[in-house]
Amino acid sequence: MLVPRKIKHRKQHSPGRSGMATGGTQVTFGDFGIQALEPAYVTNRQIESARIAINRHIRRGGKVWITIFPDRPLTKKPAETRMGSGKGSPEFWVANVKPGRIMFEMAYPNESVAREALRRAMHKLPMKCRIVTREGVDF
Amino acid sequence: MIDAACRIARPLSDHEAAAADLDLASKLLRSPTVSEVRLAAEPRTEFGKGAARRTRRAGKIPAVLYGHGSDPQHVALPALEFARVVREQGSNAVLSLDLDGRPQLALTKTVTVHPLRRYIEHVDLLIIRRGEKVVVDVYLVVTGNAAPDTLVTQELVSLQVEADAMSIPDEIEVSVEGAAIGTRVLASEVPLPPGVELRTDPEYLVVNIVAAPSTADLDAEATGEEPALTGPGAADEPA
Repeated sequence: MLVPRKIKHRKQHSPGRSGMATGGTQVTFGDFGIQALEPAYVTNRQIESARIAINRHIRRGGKVWITIFPDRPLTKKPAETRMGSGKGSPEFWVANVKPGRIMFEMAYPNESVAREALRRAMHKLPMKCRIVTREGVDF
Repeated sequence: MIDAACRIARPLSDHEAAAADLDLASKLLRSPTVSEVRLAAEPRTEFGKGAARRTRRAGKIPAVLYGHGSDPQHVALPALEFARVVREQGSNAVLSLDLDGRPQLALTKTVTVHPLRRYIEHVDLLIIRRGEKVVVDVYLVVTGNAAPDTLVTQELVSLQVEADAMSIPDEIEVSVEGAAIGTRVLASEVPLPPGVELRTDPEYLVVNIVAAPSTADLDAEATGEEPALTGPGAADEPA
């Protein structure tokens, strides 16, 4: 699973959830992509699960790019613990995704297979998403 | 000339509905050349996000026109007609703007699209002259089927080329028909139409043909090691 190689601080404040994605809103590497329509924290487990869902469907002949990285730690206090006694221990690594962000891209010669693979991956993600194509922009 | 009746064939948003009242037939007139489209542009006198939003609500797109050392001119373009031009001609469309009865040739330089709602927010237009050479990005299209058990990786999606402003190619084709594993197509090896010169670094890799990864490779998982702590307190806290 994706985790940072080294970090400066173990615990961070929770990432802000407001606003729109300011970059990474275009499909740049592959032909198809999954675009977030809502803000969400995407954990490294969800990213990995979506990646496996894509790869199991396309088998061979395609290429997948993951364009988000889970670089923010989320902490959690143990169950049945009284409040206080400091911040909990790091529990998850998440990517702070804003609406409009392209999270996965893929290149595959058959469009229907690629869309089905991305549809399966979208079920592993915690927000509403849509499939976008590099050239298929409808104004 | 495009039939005005066929333009409104899909459901309109509020933004587009305002534009539908405009006299479309008088605004969009195709010239004899395929790539040049005549559009009526209005000068803008108020600026800022409030004014830009009012412009968009009125069915227009805020745009700026500059080039050849002239001062930037702020104009408003009809939204529906310009969207049609981009959809049909691509991002390198050449426009013949009607600016207060004065014709002005312009090339679409940047089209800013809202990432979620996908309407055109703003347009940058570059002033051009007939016979002038311009540097533009033209999309690459990979055609043909490579050899079996190969993976065609397109490393570059567009090429920067210098071409006559009135004859910019829509796309450039790269054929990989029957290409074997290890085939590499560089930018200098891409066949260009006559009169078009390459501006991208000739050594750039455009298409790479590699062996298709096995299922085991695809399912191989990265190691989930704990990250090393390098910041203040690294000695005190466990990583």
